[in-house]
Amino acid sequence: MSRVLYFILALVLILIVLVLGLQVGSFESDLSTIAEAIFNYNPDNTTHYAIVHLRLPRMLLALVVGASLAFSGYLMQAMVNNGLADPYLLGTASGASLGAVIVFFGFVEVTITGIYMPPVFALAGAFIVTLAAVMLGHRKGQLIPAQLLLAGIALSSLLTAIVGLLTFLSDTESKLRSVIFWSMGSFERATWAMVPYPAVALGLSLLLFLFMQKQLNILLLGSDRAEALGVQVARTRWIILIVVSLVTGFAVATSGSVGFVGLIIPHVTRGLMGATGKSNLLFCAFVGGLFMLLCDLLSRIIYPPAGLPIGIITSFFGVPFFVYLLFRKNYNFRA
Amino acid sequence: MKKLIYRHTSCSVLITLLLLLCACSTEKTNEQQTASITIEDDLGRKIQLPHQPQRVLALASSMTEMLFAVCDTASIVGRTQNCDYPAAALSKPVVNNYPVDMERVLQLKPDLIFTTEGITPLEVAARLEELGVPVYYQKYRTVEDIFSGLEDIGRIVGREQQAKQVADSLRQEVAQIEARHKNKEQPLKVLAVVNYDPIYVYGHSTVISDKLRILGAENAVEETYEAMSREAILKSNPDVLLGGTPEEMEKNFFSIYPELRKIKAYQNKRIYKPTADLMSRATPRVVASIKELERFLYPS
Repeated sequence: MSRVLYFILALVLILIVLVLGLQVGSFESDLSTIAEAIFNYNPDNTTHYAIVHLRLPRMLLALVVGASLAFSGYLMQAMVNNGLADPYLLGTASGASLGAVIVFFGFVEVTITGIYMPPVFALAGAFIVTLAAVMLGHRKGQLIPAQLLLAGIALSSLLTAIVGLLTFLSDTESKLRSVIFWSMGSFERATWAMVPYPAVALGLSLLLFLFMQKQLNILLLGSDRAEALGVQVARTRWIILIVVSLVTGFAVATSGSVGFVGLIIPHVTRGLMGATGKSNLLFCAFVGGLFMLLCDLLSRIIYPPAGLPIGIITSFFGVPFFVYLLFRKNYNFRA
Repeated sequence: MKKLIYRHTSCSVLITLLLLLCACSTEKTNEQQTASITIEDDLGRKIQLPHQPQRVLALASSMTEMLFAVCDTASIVGRTQNCDYPAAALSKPVVNNYPVDMERVLQLKPDLIFTTEGITPLEVAARLEELGVPVYYQKYRTVEDIFSGLEDIGRIVGREQQAKQVADSLRQEVAQIEARHKNKEQPLKVLAVVNYDPIYVYGHSTVISDKLRILGAENAVEETYEAMSREAILKSNPDVLLGGTPEEMEKNFFSIYPELRKIKAYQNKRIYKPTADLMSRATPRVVASIKELERFLYPS
């Protein structure tokens, strides 16, 4: 019963933070302005315009990206059967960073046929690196988690070094800013055109895994036991891998890499709902979205108008909670 | 216990002796360095020089321009890789300033290094001072800060008269420009963009705000912050945008932020590209920079 309660609580909190967050910005706006902007939109009113075209997509993007990262983190931890795993394990974040940095440092035109290139290259970078990690991390069609993990770490270090080299060699301050914002994450660029990509990727993946939650829970027992219980471990791992790289790829490409969410929210989920809850994945996505919304709101309140890079906030508020969770005596990674 | 006390006393006696010795030796050096000069820089750091500097070096491209305006050209011993003005600077030996090439600095034997706040980190300055090269910082918030900076340099290198002449003639030019734009009824709001993604602008407490004030206009940014949100730009609704040619900004700024097409500067096609070095460097060329901005703000 308490699980249902947690679900309702998460949903209500998401709505409350959304409404609160819509009021924060350069234009003065209270609840009635927001209601007016949404239900009686006037395109000539700049305050309405800012609420509907800047604040709303920004918050929705934060919600979707937070949910995506938490969801991917949960899957990753189940796949490699390790509570230290996060969505960026396969080098997705550093691949995306390198992709974006390549554009920012002038190796490629910033816009090609009207399309802004950094997210495109970030997405490509994320996919290419994941692919490389998978090539190194499988043997005879089987993914080997330990090997995959090492491949991801090695590739990440290499790419981070390349980004570091490029950053060091370019001494203009503004390029450094782009790199920092990319590697810490930001939702400031959000537009309505941008939100659907990560949202659709996440929605479809959630739908798929609603049917696979049981297999995931069994996978947490270890691959041998899962196999014995009739789970097709190899196939499940491949599905997880593809879904995670897709969902994380879109999240990173739209808002840069945001640390900690994908690591801690799955633990929070298991802490609240138990390690083998039936709807853990869905709940995990909700909490991830809520957490990211909250962090984005804080970042805008602390450092108006543009907000601090979001990764700074997620770490500041996420880590203490995480430590608390780890020291709670009845929490266990496995059931 | 007794032993312990004895040890303590002997320790303190030793320390007192040592302190006395130290005091004597400092007195001695003070006597030797009667000709030494103590100066204070813009960051409030005290710098002691054994004599008036004969060999000077700048670690910022703006500072190289400042030195060339005041100092004897022969006394400037080098330039950084970014220094390209005046042309005479190009013939000087190059010192990398990012990271600072300490060995090259020592090789050039400057008596004093000039730099600006934000370009040379304080810990680099501390290291240089350990190596025996004092570092003098300047910082500029207004156009006048640049002129008084020139005079400060003049005092330090013993060319006070020359520096004052340069500064005064620049002041006069600025005063003439300022007089042309006194009492504007509706000052133009100007937003100067530094970086497109993320959006960074020249904040309020920068020299650019003062240049705009001289031109009877104002910085659209009222705060000191430099990271901007689209919403804050929409709200400030600038009349003029500085940051690139209209084509560049259309392609790489407004295409990413189509929402900003609502601002007056875009609607009225008042988008200009100022010379980058004139915008970013605080130098005697500030007058040229103000004149350039004047052409943009008041084209007729």
